[in-house]
Amino acid sequence: MNQNTENFEQLRRLLKLKRYEQPPPGYFDRFSSQVIARIRLGERGEESAVIERLLWEAPWLQRIWAAFEAKPVLAGVFGLAVCGLLITGVIYSENGDVQPVALIPVTESLPSSTEVANVNAESHPLLVKPAALETSSTNPITALETDGLLLGGLRAQPTSFVLPGRN
Amino acid sequence: MIMTEPARRKAPNPSDESPAGPEPAPAPVEEAELVKRARKGDLAAYDDLVRRYQERIYATIYHMTANHEDANDLAQEAFIKAFQALRSFKGGSSFYTWVYRIAVNKTINFLKQRKNKAQMSLDDLDFNAEHDPDLVALISDKTPRREVNLAELQEKLNAAMQKLSEPHRLVVTLHDVQGLSHEEIAKIMDCNIGTVRSRLFYARQQLQAYLSDYLQ
Repeated sequence: MNQNTENFEQLRRLLKLKRYEQPPPGYFDRFSSQVIARIRLGERGEESAVIERLLWEAPWLQRIWAAFEAKPVLAGVFGLAVCGLLITGVIYSENGDVQPVALIPVTESLPSSTEVANVNAESHPLLVKPAALETSSTNPITALETDGLLLGGLRAQPTSFVLPGRN
Repeated sequence: MIMTEPARRKAPNPSDESPAGPEPAPAPVEEAELVKRARKGDLAAYDDLVRRYQERIYATIYHMTANHEDANDLAQEAFIKAFQALRSFKGGSSFYTWVYRIAVNKTINFLKQRKNKAQMSLDDLDFNAEHDPDLVALISDKTPRREVNLAELQEKLNAAMQKLSEPHRLVVTLHDVQGLSHEEIAKIMDCNIGTVRSRLFYARQQLQAYLSDYLQ
């Protein structure tokens, strides 16, 4: 050890050597652009991380995504289907004179509450007698037959078959 | 690894008697304006800030790690982290001190996690080092190890630096190599000036002991 331990002048001179250590030429010309590029990449990475998290949380989406990646044809077909639906929607929206279809026929005059109460269940096609619902697990057709109508007028009838060669 | 081909890049005037410390801080308004724009996501403004401080940040990390590749990665990561944390920058200190602190913390964490001593990957010595009178005197006839050359001296100096603890190495780097004042170092290291002085004294003592063969 140097005898004069508190006089660091020689050491400080030696440490000056480190100030001459320089990275390769042109290093600092590229440095900031590399930093900016990594920042941009990180921002894009955050966006892709959101997609990855979505895929992770919805496995069915992941399977679809995997199928699209494995078979690009599927992705094409899917795209065509979406386009077809879109075009169909546009065409239908342009036909504005189409009348809305009523699911239930609208009567001219609404019945009063007493009339509603006195509606005969047999005369109304939408009302079914409770007896009709009492189906038997062993013979459901028979149970429905007592009420008569099935599927809007089709009547179910028991049939008998005679096989040839038998009495 | 010491690269034998000397870089011809001009050193930041290291032959001056005063250490090549940080240049006078740029106009604070301009820096504040750049920070404000960068905070809004203006990458061109942040590019300007990076260019201002890249050499000092890189040099600090390099002197701490003695490895160019590690210094490159850590310096880039420090600037990236600073950009991401710009919203938390209150402006209590200068942007320069704030970035310095990020870089120093990142480097110390890296060195703590690095279990084994990494192989040194030293930067080349600038051509002008051979003409520095102080360095010429060190390798002159008066030097006990007469056969030593600058490249060997560089390697021995870096090896001795690596023997210091991280806080002691940091103080020597910031003061004796980069020329920061005790006050600036205290701000960066988040300690008082007395601690900086005592660490500096101890670190110099240690280095002097390690390098006694190369000192008169």
